[in-house]
Amino acid sequence: MHTFTRIALTLGFSSFVLGSLSAEAASTLRVALNADIRSTDPGVNRDENTDAVVLHIVEGLVAYREDASVGMLLASKVEVSAEGLEYRFTLRDGVKFHNGAALTSADVLWTWKRYLDPQTQWRCLADFDGRGVAKVADISAPDPLTVVFTLDKPNGLFLAQMARSDCGGTGILHPSSVDANGKWQAPIGTGPFKLVEWKPGQYVDLQRFTDYSARPETATDGYTGNKQAFIENLRFMVIPDAASAKAALQSKGVDVLPDVTVMDAHELGALPGIKTSSSANMSLNALLFQTRDPLLKDVRIRRAIALSLDSEQMVQALTEGTSHANNSVVPDTSPYHKTVQKQGYKANIEEAKRLLKEAGYNGQPLKIITNKRYQSVFDMAVLSQAMAQAAGLNIDIETLEWGTQLERYQSGAYQIMAFSYSARFDAALNFESVMGDKNQQPRKVWDNPLAQGWMLESMREIVPVKRQALFDQLHQQMLADVPMVVMYNGSTVGAFQDRVEGYRSWPIAKPRLWGVKLAD
Amino acid sequence: MTVSLLSVNATPARRPLRWPPANALIGGTLLVLLISMALVGVFWTPYDPLKIDLLSRLKAPSALHWLGTDEFGRDVLSRLIIGARTSLWISLLTVCLALFFGSVIGMLAGYLRGWTDRLLMMINDALLAFPGILMALGLMAIIGASQYGIVLALSIAYTPSVVRVVRGSVLSLREREFIEASRVIGNSEFYTLYRHIAPNCVAPLCVLATSMFGWTLLSESALSFLGLGVPPPAATWGNMLAASRPYIANATWLGLFPGLFIALALVAINLFGDALRDRLDPRMSR
Amino acid sequence: MLRFIAQRLALSVPTLLLISVVVFALIRFIPGDPALLMLGDMADPQSLASTRAALGLDHSIGVQFAYWLQSVLSGDLGVSITSKQPVLELILDRFSVSASIVLVAVLLAALIAVPAGLFAAWKQDSALDLGLVTGATLLLSIPSFWLGLLLLYAFGIKLNWLPVVGYVPFAQNPAEAVTYLVLPIVTLTLVELGAITRMARASTIEVLRLEYIAHARAKGLSERAVLWRHALPNAFAPTWTLIGLILGNLLGGIAVLETVFTLPGIGRLMVDAIYARDYPVLQGCLLLITFIYVAVNLLVDLLYPLFDPRVKL
Repeated sequence: MHTFTRIALTLGFSSFVLGSLSAEAASTLRVALNADIRSTDPGVNRDENTDAVVLHIVEGLVAYREDASVGMLLASKVEVSAEGLEYRFTLRDGVKFHNGAALTSADVLWTWKRYLDPQTQWRCLADFDGRGVAKVADISAPDPLTVVFTLDKPNGLFLAQMARSDCGGTGILHPSSVDANGKWQAPIGTGPFKLVEWKPGQYVDLQRFTDYSARPETATDGYTGNKQAFIENLRFMVIPDAASAKAALQSKGVDVLPDVTVMDAHELGALPGIKTSSSANMSLNALLFQTRDPLLKDVRIRRAIALSLDSEQMVQALTEGTSHANNSVVPDTSPYHKTVQKQGYKANIEEAKRLLKEAGYNGQPLKIITNKRYQSVFDMAVLSQAMAQAAGLNIDIETLEWGTQLERYQSGAYQIMAFSYSARFDAALNFESVMGDKNQQPRKVWDNPLAQGWMLESMREIVPVKRQALFDQLHQQMLADVPMVVMYNGSTVGAFQDRVEGYRSWPIAKPRLWGVKLAD
Repeated sequence: MTVSLLSVNATPARRPLRWPPANALIGGTLLVLLISMALVGVFWTPYDPLKIDLLSRLKAPSALHWLGTDEFGRDVLSRLIIGARTSLWISLLTVCLALFFGSVIGMLAGYLRGWTDRLLMMINDALLAFPGILMALGLMAIIGASQYGIVLALSIAYTPSVVRVVRGSVLSLREREFIEASRVIGNSEFYTLYRHIAPNCVAPLCVLATSMFGWTLLSESALSFLGLGVPPPAATWGNMLAASRPYIANATWLGLFPGLFIALALVAINLFGDALRDRLDPRMSR
Repeated sequence: MLRFIAQRLALSVPTLLLISVVVFALIRFIPGDPALLMLGDMADPQSLASTRAALGLDHSIGVQFAYWLQSVLSGDLGVSITSKQPVLELILDRFSVSASIVLVAVLLAALIAVPAGLFAAWKQDSALDLGLVTGATLLLSIPSFWLGLLLLYAFGIKLNWLPVVGYVPFAQNPAEAVTYLVLPIVTLTLVELGAITRMARASTIEVLRLEYIAHARAKGLSERAVLWRHALPNAFAPTWTLIGLILGNLLGGIAVLETVFTLPGIGRLMVDAIYARDYPVLQGCLLLITFIYVAVNLLVDLLYPLFDPRVKL
């Protein structure tokens, strides 16, 4: 074939293809997910990515505000009885489901009945059926816009648990979300987007819900506030590989990367056409000590390790200066992180050496377990090892595959472990995740019966000031016991194309695509 | 059906003494260079390959750092040098282990025949069908990522190929007259195996060994790519290549050089292997 | 011939069974289980127990295997633990992606490499031959994922001609689908070109030295006819074996390329399944791969007599 013709054909073909690609791109916002979602059933088969997508489709009675406190969403107000046993929710008027039906208390009743049914296998059942702090004894709907929950005991965490994103935000569903036999079909919710198609392994397509009734506030406030959506089509693309996702952003194959590493954020932000938005989140990165280990059972050695680490310098390096050290199990962004929680370990190599000598440490090797799946955790182990060396501590890094490391965490079979805790949305839950009886739950890091009592009390207590006092007590005891060294809270950094306006990262970390516009 | 061991460069059997052919020269020289680089690395590298220097992160190649620095500020050249040592050592160990076990099993199967042969070959074929990468991944998840874990996993993955080749050789050899003669004289089976069959397997094994060396090098990098290679901070060419991926747009040198060295090593091995095959394969006489 | 096929298929059953048992046991030896991975650091004993029960992991290994075998024999490969999709459907979906790339690439490579190798052998020791051999050796030595990365960088990022991530099924939108497939296919083709060229060249050289070629030449046949009618069919046999081996192995090793180009193929499916301890998917995949391996070997053996009449089935 004539060379000229060949070139012409190639050019024509390419421009046709590129043209068809960009035509699609203009009206669709593409967001990267680092793994496929597990299902569309809120709180049933889920992980972080599943929650992120599902929470665009469903809404619960309450939800987390920007500062992780609990605010109203589908409810306009809630009245709690004096003894804390009765919660009376008033629903907002005029809220519609995706299928056009109006929201009534009957739907709330139906949804909760389904959640509380063990057959549904709802993740958070344990919090509401008595195995947790309290049991939901009864739910009633005295009129179409009122729902009353009756508990058998006071529960300071009740509203926070209702707002939990890993329970699908206890999103209210319309009964046609299931078929005649009760089998799950698709989520018919009240959220700003509705589900169009889930192509497993590839993408999830959502479309703006035109009859969405937004709350009266002017702006988004976490998972509540005014959640009006502006984008017509939303596609969550499954891109498991971080490097590919980054490359895709740079070549305009995707519009938003909700969660890039801190190092990537640095580079991406410097590139023309790409912006970033960063926020501290409520995950924790920590070094765990096995207090039952023959060597580490001596608190002096544990304290020595804690004092040999310059937390502030390490965190500056690990997060490129975007975050700072937090030695408390209560995250920075929690409303309960006050003065006492800011106390921590101050690096002191001399003191560390003295403690080691006193404890009779003779250079015995200590193993720190880490993994390559979570880069920040890995880097934390590497830096910890380097810093601890200065105090004379002989630490070896053992890199395990993530699943294997989880197994060791679960059984407590380690000396030191570099670990990351996913976000807990109440300070009491932060403490609960690391405290417990090691005989019953070997994965718990801190075994202190007295402190355990304080923690349980903080779960029952409803008055915030009293809870704060308990958390302060717990923190100070933890600093003394050194069962672990909490290093810092993670940051969520979103990177996105210039044409994306209004996207913000926030402490609850998941992407929110309502309130976001495309510039062109 | 037999797979003939063919050469790309047929040379006559008897030649006057002269320079070895070009591929042996180039391949051999490259190999020697790489091995010396690895050996030198045992004693000295321009910078400490493990030293973290957060102030000099991601610096492009310059007079100070000939091949640039990586995301922790470590000198790329130094890491490539110790990487050479680790990567080559892993490949060498794997090849030796696979050769040893493969030969033993292959000879047993080929010589004894009967049920032993059938059973061994069934297991062998099953292993051959199993994708090596996956087996290695699974094993490493059990053992834990480490140098010796990789060696073990890859040896198990490659032994079946050795078994096949050795068995093939043994099968064709055992019908030959000198084997018959050895039995007639009264030598034990084992002696015959050891003294007469084994040495004749050496040639195809040498050729296979050079190919396997290359495959192992590649497999180690592939494993690192998929997340279970030798874990950092130890350096291998494979895990350096894997770690370079997020920086491909902004620090391309991080991925360019490890890949280049892997390719060079493979070129050397392939060229040298060809020359070796020419020398050893008796059927290549014109 | 039908008897031969039946025999081979029958013989492959014990292999399949053996692999199933080994895989079944082995993956349960890997520390950590799917329930633990799903729950992560939120795994308290109760939710672990209930999740495990929901996944059917609370029975003994023997019982689990019995259940699985039973369902396989009735055509049901189970359901993926991570995505709840039926395993058979999932595997076939992903396999078609990988297969399309592998088959097209190997076909392209063969189409280019076999004539090239023939030609090089014909003009053995000429400058062209040396050039082809050097080129082939170089191509053979380049790690496929490195090549893929470099091509991705050049064409995807720097020049922005082709998309860097994603996949569109051919049936859905052929034009777009092609753009996603170009880079992976080109990478794979280049990688396989080297090996096939060398093999084709080597086997042609060997054949050209044989007596019947001299005989054909003495008869007065032109070089071209000699090459085409006598050399090629016989030289092709070992090359054909090599192609079979490549096809069989590629499906296991394609995981790396799929990672580089973010393709929803079967290699990545298997790697992800190992990390997530998705037992049903792993078991299904290994069954499929073994079956393909057996089928490819069978095909190669069946077509052999076409090229070399001395070989009897």
